[in-house]
Amino acid sequence: MLRLENLRKAFGSTVAVDGLSLTVRRGEVFGLLGPNGAGKSTTMAMAVGLLAPDSGRVLIGAGAGASPSDPSVRLGLGLAPQSLALYDELSGEENVTFFARLQGLSGRDLRGRVAAALELVGLGPRKGDRAKGYSGGMKRRLNLAAALVHDPPLLLLDEPTAGVDPQSRVGILDLVQSVAARGTTVVYTTHYMEEAQRLCERVAIMDLGKIIAIGTIEELIDAHGGGSVLTVRRNGGPATADERVTTTDPVRELTRVMTGPDAATIRGVTLDRPDLESVFLTLTGRRLRD
Amino acid sequence: MLSAAWTIATKDLKLLLRDPAAAFFTLVFPLGVAILFGSIFGGRGEQRQDLALAVWLGERTDAAERMARALESAKGLAVSRAESRAAGEEAVRKGRATALVVIPEGFGRAADLLFFRGAMRLEAVVDPARGAEAGLITGKLNELAFKQIASGITDPARSRALLAEARGQLATARFSDPLMGPTLGRLFDALDAVNAQTERAGAADGDVKGAGGGFSFQPVEVTVTELERRGSAGPRSGFELSFPQGVVWGLMGCAMGFAVSIASERAAGTLVRLTVAPLRRGTILLGKAMACFMACAIVQALLLTMGVLVFGVGVSSWPLMLAAVVCSSLAFVGVATLLAGLSPTEQGAGGMARAILIVLAMIGGGSVPMMFLPPWMQTASSISPFKWALLSFEGATFREYSAADMALPCGVLLAFGIGGWLVGVRGLTRQRAF
Repeated sequence: MLRLENLRKAFGSTVAVDGLSLTVRRGEVFGLLGPNGAGKSTTMAMAVGLLAPDSGRVLIGAGAGASPSDPSVRLGLGLAPQSLALYDELSGEENVTFFARLQGLSGRDLRGRVAAALELVGLGPRKGDRAKGYSGGMKRRLNLAAALVHDPPLLLLDEPTAGVDPQSRVGILDLVQSVAARGTTVVYTTHYMEEAQRLCERVAIMDLGKIIAIGTIEELIDAHGGGSVLTVRRNGGPATADERVTTTDPVRELTRVMTGPDAATIRGVTLDRPDLESVFLTLTGRRLRD
Repeated sequence: MLSAAWTIATKDLKLLLRDPAAAFFTLVFPLGVAILFGSIFGGRGEQRQDLALAVWLGERTDAAERMARALESAKGLAVSRAESRAAGEEAVRKGRATALVVIPEGFGRAADLLFFRGAMRLEAVVDPARGAEAGLITGKLNELAFKQIASGITDPARSRALLAEARGQLATARFSDPLMGPTLGRLFDALDAVNAQTERAGAADGDVKGAGGGFSFQPVEVTVTELERRGSAGPRSGFELSFPQGVVWGLMGCAMGFAVSIASERAAGTLVRLTVAPLRRGTILLGKAMACFMACAIVQALLLTMGVLVFGVGVSSWPLMLAAVVCSSLAFVGVATLLAGLSPTEQGAGGMARAILIVLAMIGGGSVPMMFLPPWMQTASSISPFKWALLSFEGATFREYSAADMALPCGVLLAFGIGGWLVGVRGLTRQRAF
């Protein structure tokens, strides 16, 4: 659905994207993760044709694919940029209608799609209000509605939950899942690992303009997450006396502990499996990024 | 392509109308300017503004009084008597009068001794800010004083009194040329004979004063004729001058608004979405241009409608007016695009647009009518598209241009439009605006 081949982009002496290649398959939800300055936004900009790569190419669509510089290819794209791209003085309905018209929709089809998009993001009752009166979460949802009103086969979401409250975040994640369930291919960038873990079938972790890991969540955890941590608490002992064992085979380790000679003293056992965040930190380090 | 451009254009117009400040400065402010300046220039033109003068008599003589009355009855002057010279000067200082005319002590004596003393002296104290009127006042005073002299010679009674006074002076006068005394005596005798003849002619006409049918002394006569109008040409009112100025301010508001439009879209993030939409870059620019064109045309149409229906502005040719509106609108589409191409940021584009457009509007006749600008600035104003927009609008109203006359301003406006568009698009491309 989306193929990035050996993309390179530099701004002066700073190389933002350095020989990046990846393929996003039709119908999957693909996560693009990375610390600040990793090159995610530049990659997204090149993927939708906002930026021309210095070298390499972007191909969208089935078969050989075509460049996003072709307007007919962009007809199949939906983009929800990280910064809200809305007209504050227009109502929610007017915003979505405007962007839908630019996608070539008109007449009854236009009205139907606009109404459906607004209902999908839960803004139907407030569709006549001007966007400037919306809360942060409502604006995020409106931003999404404008991206998916024309039902694009490829949807690119750039940190769609940035700055919203937990309720809106859950709503947006549900929404993305429902869109993906209809067969839409989604490319999702985020800083929130739990979102990627919940939504994405595969993720790519970028740093310094390159992809440093790519695969399913399980594959990445297995390859880079390290072992699970088994914590055993015993009667009468302080918390500092808890036993912590790192293992790649938690079942065998648990069996060993539970059948051991001191099994009667066990008050509780906790097993912490590695997650995407530990993978991310393992791969990109704990150094602060600007 | 056109459908998408139209969608962008109507969205931009909707945004313009929903921004109270932008709508005010684009639609309401120009109308206010037109009405205000029209009222200052004399409203509907039924009454003209007379030149306000204060007059102070430094002596109470018949000659001084006659001169004051002549000033008071002169057409085009609004004369008030000052109680003192200081009071008259204060009136000038406060702007209540353009000048103070002082009829000094000795004026009457000089008038009586027409042939022996120096000139009849008059003094005009002029507001330094009204230098243009000083010459006008000098000419008017010369004219009225000369009429005083002429009436002294042609009125037999006054002439006889003057001659009696002159003969008395002649008896005691010493001349370097011994022939001068006898010569003046013969002149006085001749004038006595003229007076007698005038009185006889006047009596035959039934005019006891005798001035009507006989001698008159008016060596120069200046006739002032207003330029004959072509049909109803010439500004019939101040509003025919001020509404084109209103158009200038309206066009400025439009150009300013649309010059920052692309930068505003970029700042709001919406330009990203426009760019990702299945449109060619040219379609986005065309949409912006259409919005600017429509806003310019709407402002002009609004001002024209108000001018014609409410303020009596006359349109000499509707087709030429249409050409003026279209060409002006196209010119300012170019100007707005040019300004948009100068800076990628909203603040930069807005600041530059304001600075450049205000200067161009001022030298183009937007704040001060062209006729009041110094000659060099009138020449320099040709670089301002506002001048040509104003000229085309006036051409289709009181100047009553023919199609050939209208070709020049319209041609220049189109050149501004095309040139501005090309340079602006180049600038936007360089900015990587899209």
